[in-house]
Amino acid sequence: MDVFGDDAFNVPDSTDWLGTPLACLMPVEQAFRCHVCKDFYDSPMLTSCNHTFCSLCIRRCLSVDSKCPLCRATDQESKLRGNWALREAVEAFKNSRKVLLEFARTPPTIQAILPDQAGPSSPSKRKATELEGPKEEDPETKRPRRSTRSTRARAAELTAAILQEEQDTTPSADPDYVDQPPDDGLVACPICLTRMKEQQVDRHLDTSCPGSPQAASKRRPIPAQTSQPSTFPSFNSRLTSQTSIANQNQKPPERLPALAYSMLRDTALRKKLSELGLSTHGSRQLLEKRHKEWITLWNANCDSSRPKKRSELLRDLDEWERTVGNPGTAAGGGGGQQGLGLVARAQATGAQIKDKEFDGKAWATRYGGSFGDLIKQARKGIKRQTLDGNGEKADTKGEGGDGKEDITPAELPTLQAREGESSAAPTPMDIVPPSSPPRLGKVDDAGAEHDGQAHGKDAIAEDTAMGEQVIPGTPDKERWETSQQPPIPGDD
Amino acid sequence: MPVQFAAKRLGKELNKIQNGLPPGIELISADNLEEWLLDIRVLDNNPLYLNDTYRLKFRFGQSYPIEPPEVVFVKQADRPIPIHPHIYSNGIICLDLLGQQGWSPVQSVESVCMSLQSMLTGNTKNERPPGDEEFVRANKQRPKDIEFYYHDNTV
Repeated sequence: MDVFGDDAFNVPDSTDWLGTPLACLMPVEQAFRCHVCKDFYDSPMLTSCNHTFCSLCIRRCLSVDSKCPLCRATDQESKLRGNWALREAVEAFKNSRKVLLEFARTPPTIQAILPDQAGPSSPSKRKATELEGPKEEDPETKRPRRSTRSTRARAAELTAAILQEEQDTTPSADPDYVDQPPDDGLVACPICLTRMKEQQVDRHLDTSCPGSPQAASKRRPIPAQTSQPSTFPSFNSRLTSQTSIANQNQKPPERLPALAYSMLRDTALRKKLSELGLSTHGSRQLLEKRHKEWITLWNANCDSSRPKKRSELLRDLDEWERTVGNPGTAAGGGGGQQGLGLVARAQATGAQIKDKEFDGKAWATRYGGSFGDLIKQARKGIKRQTLDGNGEKADTKGEGGDGKEDITPAELPTLQAREGESSAAPTPMDIVPPSSPPRLGKVDDAGAEHDGQAHGKDAIAEDTAMGEQVIPGTPDKERWETSQQPPIPGDD
Repeated sequence: MPVQFAAKRLGKELNKIQNGLPPGIELISADNLEEWLLDIRVLDNNPLYLNDTYRLKFRFGQSYPIEPPEVVFVKQADRPIPIHPHIYSNGIICLDLLGQQGWSPVQSVESVCMSLQSMLTGNTKNERPPGDEEFVRANKQRPKDIEFYYHDNTV
């Protein structure tokens, strides 16, 4: 239930404009929001059908089914093109949104008062004057701006002075500024910009024009490229220590091609993953999903004007793996302690049981017979079960006894009844403590799809290594058992 | 740490819903970002649904909105399951919009409610889907795992 944080609810939304005099900005803001995530466009991309989505959103959609979410036209990730004009528009709108909203929410009666009629201490006056222009001194404001002292006369004077100064200095101050043609009676070649007599141009174009602007023609006009990111933050942690100049010269990261997974053997896929520095753990299916998600994250990041670092992307991948990818498991690569523990446990007990979507009833029906047998076995004696497991000696002091307690036969029906009542499946968050060996065996027998023995060993080893989780008899243990135990039909 | 995709999107939807829903749709509970309850009413005078309110249960997975939510009608004392040739008497809805194929991430809770509203409005048949009894008795699957065959293009 962690997801139910305040953040999720306290979100800016296009409906913020409703009820203000600027309600007409709601459709404007809606136009700046992605139809998939409902957030402002992040690296907007154009589809072949001329719809726009966030890069990550559309890449995710297309990787699930290759159709535009809005019109269902077939499309491919490789055909996506950046919508840079929209990116700028969204940025500009986002930047001005707060001020606009504040303005819209200020009662209109106060706004109507002229600045010099309101008292100097009135906060609304400050707002009104701020919007009119830099005339009043405001020590609190964080915006750097040229303000004067209190009198309007001085303000006007200074504003004029600043404007004059700007007029005087701008053309020469900016080297990229479009140059005034020197008054030399010559004209510039429209292609190479070499200056020459007007009548020479035709001949020059036909014979000697080199085709592109030459270094000799100093200060050629350069169109302002505001949308071009000035630096690409280094993508590789090895390079982060290099100077910013090096970063500037660095090429933008290259997009990764999609793989035809059906053509790849397991080993080849693992190799690809390790080349990318990703975890090679998990089932074939998980490997494919992980690779696919990484490509999605990576390529979407390539579209961004402010790309994240590789380490950040790895964190995103890890988070994905813990939630969407395979609830209950986590990537080894970049995964923290929690991640490792989860991998071990999920492999030991079958990730699907922990899935929030897990259908307890159907599971119980399917494996009802096995469960019945297991309960009988358990009643006969758990001790034997604990001992005949392979290598489950790793199960150290206390654990064995604990295991016995955990699956006391009398307890099973209770658990099952509880599960049955509220058909709510266990949430991954509830599942904290370790897997105990007796249950490992049981779940395997019950038909979970994995080779439990080997993983079982690993699981115990890792859990033991992790320390924190092997404390027997903790309340967590109890909770784990409750949520982990699949419901058993009452046919016994 | 980025907020989870699904949680972020649902937060935005909830925010919007709390600012108002179309007529005949009402939010009953949204205590978490996994399961929401909404009531819908049919607004015209269709005699099949006159004076009745129906409760919908939405369940969202971590992949929402890439994957569709699970939407079923739930039965309560004052909330019957609407009669419709594509709604089973246990509340399971056969609608391509809610299946993997028909779903699109641009859909939302609100748009699903409106689609269901109009699906009821347009219905004239006072009947359950064929094989309803058998299905309700035998089905142990979750709606998302059922393979529906969408044959009716008139809905």
